[in-house]
This record gives sequence, structure tokens and C-alpha cells, in this order.
Amino acid sequence: MRFREYDLRRTHLPVVKSGGKVCSASFGRLLSALIILAVAAIAFTKPATAQNGTFTVSAAPGGIAFAGGGGGTLSGQFGAMNALGIGTPSAGVTVIPLSNGALYITHYQITISGLPNPHLGAVTAFVNSNFTHPAALIMQSCPSSSTCNASGNFSAMSLIAGAPTTVVAAPGINNQTVTVGLGIFVPDNNGASSFTGVDTARITLTATDTTNNKNFANAEIRLDTPVGETIQNAVRLTLAPATGGLTITPGADFSMNFGNVNGLGFGPGAGLTTVAAAGGVVYSTPYLLQPAFGAFRSTTATIKTFVSTTFAHPTILILRDAAASGGPYNNIGTTAGTATQITNTAADRSSITRFLGLFVSNGNGATTFQGSDSATLTFTMTVP
Amino acid sequence: MKKYFTIFALGMMALSTAAFAGTTATNTNTVSPTLQISATVQSAVQLTLSTGTAAVTHCAVTPTGGTPDYTMNFGTVDALGINAGNCNKFAPTTPGVSNAIYWSDYNLNPVFTSQTVSTNTITAQVTTDFAAPNNLFIVRDSANSSTVPASAAAFTAVSTATADTIVTNAASGSTQTRFIGVAVTPANGAGVTGAKSATVTFTLTVQ
Repeated sequence: MRFREYDLRRTHLPVVKSGGKVCSASFGRLLSALIILAVAAIAFTKPATAQNGTFTVSAAPGGIAFAGGGGGTLSGQFGAMNALGIGTPSAGVTVIPLSNGALYITHYQITISGLPNPHLGAVTAFVNSNFTHPAALIMQSCPSSSTCNASGNFSAMSLIAGAPTTVVAAPGINNQTVTVGLGIFVPDNNGASSFTGVDTARITLTATDTTNNKNFANAEIRLDTPVGETIQNAVRLTLAPATGGLTITPGADFSMNFGNVNGLGFGPGAGLTTVAAAGGVVYSTPYLLQPAFGAFRSTTATIKTFVSTTFAHPTILILRDAAASGGPYNNIGTTAGTATQITNTAADRSSITRFLGLFVSNGNGATTFQGSDSATLTFTMTVP
Repeated sequence: MKKYFTIFALGMMALSTAAFAGTTATNTNTVSPTLQISATVQSAVQLTLSTGTAAVTHCAVTPTGGTPDYTMNFGTVDALGINAGNCNKFAPTTPGVSNAIYWSDYNLNPVFTSQTVSTNTITAQVTTDFAAPNNLFIVRDSANSSTVPASAAAFTAVSTATADTIVTNAASGSTQTRFIGVAVTPANGAGVTGAKSATVTFTLTVQ
């Protein structure tokens, strides 16, 4: 869908007076009607004439779709978004996860034509109707001089008509089509300003003939169709190796291998230390919990863990948890109801170093065990 | 009707909980990733020595952190039992005929885990004997017990050819006190004096 807006040159209408008084109402209405007809004829039947410039905004290949509206508007939407960049964004939208939110971007095209040589056209934009939750959604723009494929190409779009954001920089371009970027930054935004739901915004684009410094066209993009931008809350909890700790392998979801262990703590593998314990020894490793969450009223989360699948030899191998490398190491609960609480003050994007201990019994006899075994820990993060 | 359906569908999309992996989710306040932990349990044995506490005096058992694992020094000894040595001594019953014995208590601490049986032995063998003319030899308490020997007669030479069993079926982690010494023969001749050393190898076997 392409939209074309022609020049609406300002025409100073004559002020008609008689004897120092305004003419009668009937004559005034007739004159007004004639003037409106004349202006309408100029607006809808003739392209821009002074500079012959036209300004077209349209969807770019791979970008979001726009629907043409009346009054020179294009309408579309970014769809569902979240601060962690989780999930597949709407068609035509690309998500770039960032360290403090997610940037959802799309591309659109600007075509300038009809300018007499050597006139050039520049384009600016500003948000004429901002999101009603400006802490949750921030409109961003990428100029034609960038590839608009990386977060660094985008910057916040101006909210001020008098100080708009450059889209096609002066001195501008001759008659051609360029691709530019439009983005919405969704910050983590937890706390009092958090928001989930639908919001909308509108952008005004203005084309200027930089040779004579005259604006020759405006266009508006409305991000409200068919719904607008839907902000969802999002949670993420990942595990990662800590310095000096065991490797944590991403899989379904993560795995960690203590390697060869024994009840005496001999020869702990790389990333492991041993801690004395009654009845055996604890092999310990540090690891990282990496919580992230967005669009929540609470700024802290609770993280718990429990052994959802015990070792096949649960008296010989026992998982324990500690806040410090030296312990104390306590058995991790084996049911969801008895889960071990790691913290109730987990902050967004703030890593937590924790110590996982594997107790190995030093028992002997017929019930002892030699060989491989495995268990599964389930971590649960809840943002209240 | 179509319009209402579209709105309904979008509303359902917005409200539905979406979990994209065990580590992430949207439209919910909880997420539950899992961590699989693996380990391979091996059996293990450990035998450590330490300075005894049973006798009147004790020659120190000193771990070296290298090879040999431990050392014990009886000090200056002689066949007549004139020198005090570093710990205890039994003077020869018949000076010039029988041997003087310089001795000490020491502790053995066997530990073993993940063994299918608990039966075990600890043996001792002289794996490197004193150099010729062999006027010194290693002795142990004949009783293989923690009872402090009463005389030189309570000692037996530690074998150089085979391993002598000195502990049987000790509990894992239990301390076993034994006694070891050097017998000094009254032999005369070249090379009978000076610093000399020998090595005893202790072996713990659980089977």
C-alpha cells in the first residue's frame, strides 16, 4: 500500500471587507464556499507545483504492512512485544534483545520524486501522539544513512515538532527511494511504571526541499491498526558457569557433569572443590543464576529449586545448596513443596552466584554403588 | 462479525501464556528451567600414617608431600643402646650379642569408600632395605596390636621378600596403632656406621 501526499501550499486568503465592516453573512458564506472549492481543486487535482516535489511513504520489503488511510495516513502495528525479546515478533518486525530491554525494528521506504534538478529533499519525523505509557514503549528512528539493522543505528525519535528527528539528512536526496528504519524500544520497565497491554502512537514525517528550505509534504504513520502495540510481561531464568566453576551446557535446559567423584574427595575435577561432610564429602562448584524479567510491578523475584528427578542412588549422591563456597551445604528439597529458596530478592538482570554441592557418601558394602548416575534440578523463578 | 473475530483473536493472543523454552515465558510470572546433573561414582581407598600417641615418646611421622610419602628418623643409634635415639629404645639383652632396638609407635588410618565389601588388610614390606653390611634392619611389633611392646622380644623383622599383614579388617576411618623400629646388630666391620635409610611400603587392600 502506497500513500502519496501532494503539496498543500499555504495560500493567503483575501480578507474581504466593506466600509470597514465585514460583509453580510450571505455574501460571506458564498465567498467562503468559493474559496474552499478553489483550495480543494488545488489540493486534489494538482501535484505540488512550486517545486513539483512529491513525497511517498510505503512499506519496505520485509517490513510491516501499512494500510492506507484517509487524510494522508498509513496505519500498521508492531504487534506483541516484550522487554526480553522472547518469541517470534510479528511479521515484518525484527527483535534485537539488549541488555536493558528489547528493540523491535522494521523498515519502510521514502520516495521523493518530482523535484526539479538540482533540488534535494530531506525528511524529518517526530512523534505527534506518543504512547500513553512512555516508560514502556519508546519510539525510535533510523536514518537513511544507516543500514538500520543494528540497535546502534537507532535513536529515540523526537516528541517535539519544532525539533524533529532526521530521517533523510540535509542536504537530502534527489528523486529516489530510500529505506529507513522505525523502532520501538521496550525497556525492562519493572516497578511503578510497569505496563502490559495495548498502546498506540502516531508519527509525522515532513519532507523539505532543502534548496529553498520549504516543506513540501507531510505524512503520518499511525501504529494503531488493527490493534497497536501489545506489551507482554516476560520472564527468563538462565544458568551459566561461574568463574572457577563447572561448565554448564545449554540443552534441555542445562546440564552439568561432576565427572568422577568418590567418597573421599580425591582428585576433584576442574571447576570443583571438596568440602568435608559427615558420612562423605561434598564436591562443590559455583554457578550463576541469571534472572531477567520485564513489565512487572515488582522489582524482585523469588528463585527456588528442588530435585525434580533424584539420583537412582539417592543415599549415595545428594544435591546440596550453599550461599558460600565453604558452606554450610544443605540438602535441596526433593519436592516442589519443599523446594529450597535461593533468594527472594532476585533483581532483574543481576546475576547471582550460588554454590551447588554434590554429596558423595563414603559408605561401603552391598548397597554401595559405583558408576554413573544423574539427577535433575528444577529452578523456578516467580515474579510476584 | 469478521471484525469482532479479529479483535477476539488478537485478544486471545495477547492474553495467552507463551513459553518458548524452559528458560523463558511471556504473559506469565513464572518460569522453570531444569538442570541435569551427572556424576560417576568411583570407589576409593586411602591409607595415611601419622605420629603415634601410645608410647612414652614418639618419633614423628612426617609427610613429605612427595616421594617418599612419609619419613621417620630414629636419630643416632648404636648396638649397645647407649644413644637415646629420637624416641624409645630397648637395650640389647646381651650387649655385644643381641640387638638393640630403637622404636616408636605410629598410626595407620585406612579409609575406603564405595567398596562392595569391607574386608581389608594392611601389609608392610621393606621395599628398600638398609645398605650393606645390613647391621640395621626394620622391625615391627610381633603382636600386630596397639599394645605397647614390653621388650625387644616383642619385635619381629619386617620382611623384605613378602608383605607382612599387620592389620586385618579395620573399619574405614579407624585409627590403627602399631609399632616400628630399627634393630641394630652388634656387627663390626666396614660400613657399619653412618646415616642409613630404608623404605617400608604399606599396602591397604579392600576385597
